[in-house]
Amino acid sequence: MEPYAWQLATASVRGASHVAASLPNQDAVGWRGEPATAGATPLAVAVADGHGDPRHFRSERGARLAVDVACELAANLGARIAGADATGSAWLQLWVEVLPAILDGWRSAVAEDLARHPFSAEEAAGRYSGEDAVVAYGSTLLLALLVGRRLLLAQIGDGDILAVRADGVTLTPVPSDPSIHGRYTTSLCQTDALSSFRVASLDLDHEPVVMLVLATDGFGNAQTLERWYERVGADLLALTRERGLAWVERQVPVWAGRSASAGGSGDDTTLALLAVDDARP
Amino acid sequence: MSQSTTIMPGGGISRRPLHLIVLADCSGSMRGEKMQALNFAIAEMLPNLAAWEQEQEMAQVLVRVVAFADVPRWHIAEPVPVGQLRWKPLQQVEGGRTNMGPAFRMVAEALSPGRLEQRALQPALLLVTDGLPTDPPGQFEAGLAALLALPAGRAAVRLAVAIGRDANSEALHDFIGDPKVPVLVADSTDQIADRLATASIALSRMSEAGVDRGALASSLLGSAGGAGRAPAGDAGIV
Repeated sequence: MEPYAWQLATASVRGASHVAASLPNQDAVGWRGEPATAGATPLAVAVADGHGDPRHFRSERGARLAVDVACELAANLGARIAGADATGSAWLQLWVEVLPAILDGWRSAVAEDLARHPFSAEEAAGRYSGEDAVVAYGSTLLLALLVGRRLLLAQIGDGDILAVRADGVTLTPVPSDPSIHGRYTTSLCQTDALSSFRVASLDLDHEPVVMLVLATDGFGNAQTLERWYERVGADLLALTRERGLAWVERQVPVWAGRSASAGGSGDDTTLALLAVDDARP
Repeated sequence: MSQSTTIMPGGGISRRPLHLIVLADCSGSMRGEKMQALNFAIAEMLPNLAAWEQEQEMAQVLVRVVAFADVPRWHIAEPVPVGQLRWKPLQQVEGGRTNMGPAFRMVAEALSPGRLEQRALQPALLLVTDGLPTDPPGQFEAGLAALLALPAGRAAVRLAVAIGRDANSEALHDFIGDPKVPVLVADSTDQIADRLATASIALSRMSEAGVDRGALASSLLGSAGGAGRAPAGDAGIV
């Protein structure tokens, strides 16, 4: 099957509660590759949410580094494995093998940042005795790699990855993590981070996904419905059919802003929407 | 609750629910002036919470109340938006004992998996009592263990107000479960409203973004009749 052309729209908005508390936007978003040729060449997209607790006082930098490192390594992997004639489990195995490199790369990037910008006296005073310096940079990471008709997904921490099929059904391909609730999330900064990654592999010839949403938890936490993700997928598809993909892409910053507002979650909100260019039938 | 009116996928947005459950001692010893003062204090606290809800940027406060004596009962069973709550006075139970364990179990039931919204902020629990627990042996501990066995129970911000210095028991510290957070002591009925106001400010502020809960507890509660016990090691929050 011929590869599809994709479009990518992203937005990241500082949460109203962060504005009120004079905190920065601690989310980040990024990608490597060219969305328009993503079916033929690899495209890596990532969002990350730096933790809000004061213990993670450099989390906005941790999130930025996580996105940069993950996109680069995932895109490199994509370039190596593009065209591979692998089975589903083999794809997943290739994908899982890049995760330790992402973790190591993030820790190295944090170490480099720390070497360039050592903790100030005030920052040092806020640290717990003996705590690993990477805790200050704690962040989640949601990562997608599109290689031909294969979609590889990885996530650590809260947030949501939604895959919308052409028939309007919304998949949440990455397994949920019962240890994530309320104020607590898994994190790149934990010592056993590798074991907290959740992964998925989708064959787009069998699961005709036409939209992929990567969202930090500011988006889902703003949604009133308990099973909001089902409605989001159906609405995205309906809006694309009614108003066109270009209109939907222009709304992505608006939706992120509404989610981040005082009428929504009030939290930093970051969205990456990847959509097949000809989603309209 | 504000709802999205623009076209946005997902069926509407709103602030995240912050469930506040008050556990109010209605035992026999609360008779007369104490119960009047407690009712006045709660009625005073609610507008303060409603004002905070308006001022901050993320939460909608939903209130429930458990009245406990020999047995607990829901005084307000369904979560009510704080701005809509009209206070109905609690009644003291003549000769009622101060059995806290069953009240903790009742709250645990309300916080059990699937009972709160997935996006709810960590709940807030406020225990107000004028006495020591009178539970049969092991029942206080078992009730508290049932509450703390739940993710939402463990994560909850838990504060306690002791009416009278004698009520500042080790049991209340066990309920709070954080050595940085003191029991708020009202030495007289005149102080109950002040202590509940302080508690409500602390409960709400501790739910805000980027807050150092320990430092906040020290600054808000330490100078407001707070009585602590020796601190243990720091607990980590990721």
